Amino acid sequence: MSRFIRRNGWVFGLFVLFGLLLVFTRAIQPDYGSAAFISLTLAVLPFAFAAAAQTPVVIAGGIDLSIASMMALTSVTAATLMDGASEEFAILVVPMVLLLGVLLGAINGALIVITRVPDIVVTLAMLFVWEGAALLVLNAPGGGAADWLKALLVGTFAVPGVPTAITDWIPTALVLLVVCLAVVWIPVVRSRLGLSIYAIGSDSLAAFRSGVSVSRTRIAAYALGGLFAAMGGLVLTMSTGIGAPIPGPYLLASVAAVVLGGVTLGGGQGGLVGPIVAVFILRLVRSDLTFLSVDPNAATIVEGTIMVIVVMLGALVALRSRST
Amino acid sequence: MQKARHLGLATLATAAMAASSLVPALAADSYTIGISNTVQGNGWREEMICAMKAQALASGNVESLNIAHRNTDAAGQLEDIRNLIAAGVDAIVVNPANPEGINPAIKEATDAGIVVVAVDQAVTEPSAYVISNNQEQYAYLGAKWLFEQVGGEGDIIYMRGAAGASADTDRDTGFKKALAEYPDINIAQEVFTGWQQDQGKQQILDFIASGIPFDGIWTSGIDNVIVDALVESEVDLVPVVGADNAGFVGQLNDVEGLVGAAVTNPGSIGGAGVTLALRILGGETPSEQTVLVDPELWENATDAGKAQLAAAADPSLDPEWPVSISIPDWTTYTKEQIIACDGPGE
Repeated sequence: MSRFIRRNGWVFGLFVLFGLLLVFTRAIQPDYGSAAFISLTLAVLPFAFAAAAQTPVVIAGGIDLSIASMMALTSVTAATLMDGASEEFAILVVPMVLLLGVLLGAINGALIVITRVPDIVVTLAMLFVWEGAALLVLNAPGGGAADWLKALLVGTFAVPGVPTAITDWIPTALVLLVVCLAVVWIPVVRSRLGLSIYAIGSDSLAAFRSGVSVSRTRIAAYALGGLFAAMGGLVLTMSTGIGAPIPGPYLLASVAAVVLGGVTLGGGQGGLVGPIVAVFILRLVRSDLTFLSVDPNAATIVEGTIMVIVVMLGALVALRSRST
Repeated sequence: MQKARHLGLATLATAAMAASSLVPALAADSYTIGISNTVQGNGWREEMICAMKAQALASGNVESLNIAHRNTDAAGQLEDIRNLIAAGVDAIVVNPANPEGINPAIKEATDAGIVVVAVDQAVTEPSAYVISNNQEQYAYLGAKWLFEQVGGEGDIIYMRGAAGASADTDRDTGFKKALAEYPDINIAQEVFTGWQQDQGKQQILDFIASGIPFDGIWTSGIDNVIVDALVESEVDLVPVVGADNAGFVGQLNDVEGLVGAAVTNPGSIGGAGVTLALRILGGETPSEQTVLVDPELWENATDAGKAQLAAAADPSLDPEWPVSISIPDWTTYTKEQIIACDGPGE
């Protein structure tokens, strides 16, 4: 057990921080309860998928600046396809949009591998390409979403035999998030591909000499990111009922969550749970700033400062534990 | 500044509000009002926020404001509105990022007995009240005047707002309506300024450098930097249409040889939204769900128009602030109060 905590120290620390923040929130807003927690989870969803999209790419030693644009493109594609279509048709739309995400990510990765231009340059260019494509699909917010998809986010998850006092704290949106991430991430991490992604992130030359196909793994990491970005795009359409072609503030938020979540920007280290908990923390900070009526112009400064302090403290702890 | 303003009234929905949500808190007239806005750092929106704060202070009925004011999208606004619900506000005044995208959170708010008023742009959720500038009419008035001014034919630069924003879409509808009436008008260039001053200026400088002739410029409110660019490039001044921003109104009065028109688009609509919310909280429910404020056009091509512009000019305001800082019958604060931009308790 202690070994488990030591190995996952950062994530464990994030959970503790989130718990403390919940206590603090309860102290400043005594009504804060299960309904507010559902709202928090709904707010977390698109950010969580954006962070999940960034995670495999960063672990593989890259960075994807086009995540928010991919979310916008998949979101408007889903909203356009579902607009006026039957409820059953949406069952087809979901896999189509997910496949589109995989394709977009794979294109990003392939361009990096083929052109040998740095990740940051290629994905910066693709940020504009995918945004332009989103505007071509839908030049103004619009479209629609199937009712059953929208209903997936509503309410709490009833488990037979479990009292509602507990299930009130299990939003359907949270179950959806956990299932979507686990279904993709667990098989990947346990496979050869997962190992290869970590390998090329920590030392691509060593990975190459050990027989890992660096190019193919890099493309796969970006494709995986694209898949999560498409999930994020779908969630945007499900929560708002429309598609919006202008990308939301998800790019910088995804990088922030990845860093706060303990994924090293150089690659090779970290996991998916850390960034997701980090997203919960960052969204709860935003709620607290609203509850405290902090001057909105100062709120962004507070958000940024909290992040820097947490990451610095974490680095300090890591340094000390290494020297002893 | 008193000026007559026609209030076009339209009934959107006749859906009867649940009586419970309209029962005012009789005991207390000290309300908490939540505000949600999704564009930060834009002069118009800053004036709107200041009008909300000033009106809340001037009304004397607001104990505190809870302001969520940041750059975000419809999903982010869902989050902000839900946070305001959890914060237990009595009313929410919102400038919606999208007419449909924030409906779920608005519904949750009105179900919880919170009065929701959308300002500046409409929402389709029937339980919300809307007080808005008529954006379609805004574009139609200015475009029609411009096309008339260039003699019904010529090449026009069409400088829009933010691609995908609903106010931009509504304005495009109005612009296209005017365009259909003047078949000999040609759109030389269509760009999105994103309602950003620097971006708009760069775009017009690029176009001037291309050497392609143009006869007039329609802008979606990024106006004074366009005139600056024309003057700095020493090209012949062409008619320019903009909004009633203090800087542009000053230019229409002072810049030699500039012909143009300012279409009013008061940011003080935010203050009107607070007034509407307080009236509803006080049990005074409006008969219509939607109140539209129609724009006016002030031009400097005629003497009558020049007099109007001279009266409207206000160099004491920030150049990006609309000069229409109050709306008769809807706002009661003083000019000093809106410029101070202090809310209750500040």
